[in-house]
Amino acid sequence: MGAERRNAPPHVHLNRHAAVAIRDVAFEYRTNGRVTRALDEVSLAVPRGTTVAFVGPSGCGKSTLLKLIAGLLTTTRGTIDVDGRPVAGPLKNVGMAFQNPVLLPWRTVLDNVLLPLEILRENNDPRAADRATWRDKALALLETVGLVGAEQRQPRELSGGMRQRVSLCRALIHEPALLLLDEPFAALDAFTREEMWEFHQRLRLRREFTGVLVTHDLREAVFLAETVYVMSANPGRIAHVHPVRLGGPRTLGDIYGAEATELIRVMREEIRPTQRAAA
Amino acid sequence: MNPRVRRLALPLAVFAGLVLVWEAAVPVFRIQQIVLPPPSGIVRTMAETAGPIAFHARHTLATTLIGFGAAVGLGLLLGFLIGASATANDALYPLLVGFNSIPKAAVVPMLVMWFGIGAVPAVLTAFLLAFFPVAVNVALGLATLEAELRDVLRVLGASRWQIFRKVGAPRTMPLFFASLKVAVSSAFVGSVISETVASNAGIGYLMAVAASDFNTRLAFGGLFVLAAMGILLYGIFAAIERRVTAWAYAE
Repeated sequence: MGAERRNAPPHVHLNRHAAVAIRDVAFEYRTNGRVTRALDEVSLAVPRGTTVAFVGPSGCGKSTLLKLIAGLLTTTRGTIDVDGRPVAGPLKNVGMAFQNPVLLPWRTVLDNVLLPLEILRENNDPRAADRATWRDKALALLETVGLVGAEQRQPRELSGGMRQRVSLCRALIHEPALLLLDEPFAALDAFTREEMWEFHQRLRLRREFTGVLVTHDLREAVFLAETVYVMSANPGRIAHVHPVRLGGPRTLGDIYGAEATELIRVMREEIRPTQRAAA
Repeated sequence: MNPRVRRLALPLAVFAGLVLVWEAAVPVFRIQQIVLPPPSGIVRTMAETAGPIAFHARHTLATTLIGFGAAVGLGLLLGFLIGASATANDALYPLLVGFNSIPKAAVVPMLVMWFGIGAVPAVLTAFLLAFFPVAVNVALGLATLEAELRDVLRVLGASRWQIFRKVGAPRTMPLFFASLKVAVSSAFVGSVISETVASNAGIGYLMAVAASDFNTRLAFGGLFVLAAMGILLYGIFAAIERRVTAWAYAE
């Protein structure tokens, strides 16, 4: 176990221009005077334009790691660089989507998608300056995820899958360099989830972004990511690294193929070894 | 039947039925008018004293609305403070709950001691009763903001003030407007309690005087006016709530 941990992924030190570089990060938090170490000795790099996935048992610190990257939490030890700059406080150019799509029920779909641009404009961000094109961009994004004609509808009129697609569009409208996804499709049924994977892929083809995905769904990790990190719990550590050699763009057929199925079997075994029947 | 008509017609029909039973019961059971006058007699007295009743109703309405207005202002302010700051919440919320559990009728004599008999104690009692639901609802709306929503905005570089303006305040509106209809009813109760105990104007005062004269008809007339005013005030704010925060009501 110890030896394996020290085997840092080979590209950590090679890729100086990684979009996200995490070096020996630990995170501790305090509840009722007791210190809990949620993450320890996490090092990795995410090359620009790729997506990595974190999988692992509950409590392995996947979501915490995502919040650390976003600057919503501060590392106890180690550093995280995004675009070559150390993270200190919340980042300003990130898109996030969660299991709960948290749309604003008093706004139409279109106005929900445009919310990030309103914030950026108020903060004098040059990306939000060209107001006339916002609407077009938002409509184009909605079209990519199959929501043509829904722009004036209220969130409460939409299905769970549609809401999640709106949430994805909101996370991408300001063309963030980094997209952070925390189990974004976990609440959806299996078929809707597969649709969402395909939408995600279409969004990637439209515009390059670096992605970090936290998920419980191994098939989702294999479909969406170039590299999958398997984490172990107590404290959260990176236990295994798996490059996904499926190329891209991927089809649903790929992840039900032999190679992907074998990879998923291996990862599943790593996370929760199946009980062998006594001989 | 059209469901909207039905919602209005059914309770009105029951009310009309009750009034008819009442009207018939008085002669049938030979009830003395000083104990329970028939509705027709009450209405006649109300028509005869329409002038004074209107004067006192206006007075009650004024004290209620002034107290209510002050309660909304301070309730919003305190609600925002408690909802936005965990420290303010820990420090003030228990006090607020404690204060609210004092029966406000017991405070009226103190108010009379300080401000004398008149409109001031009525306004203050209205204020004291109306203020709590506004403050608590606004605080609740702000405090229950989803962590994910806050995170989505924070990683765009949004300030606390921006998060409050774009998300916190609008999502609190349904709770705020729901609290208004409760608050206006409470303010009305407060006004009338105070008028009954210590005032020289207002429907509460009118009823107290009528009762001490054994003018049962006029006392009932005052009660009718209070019922109508209470329903009207509640109805106005319920309608405003529906209109302003329609998005909060799923179809």
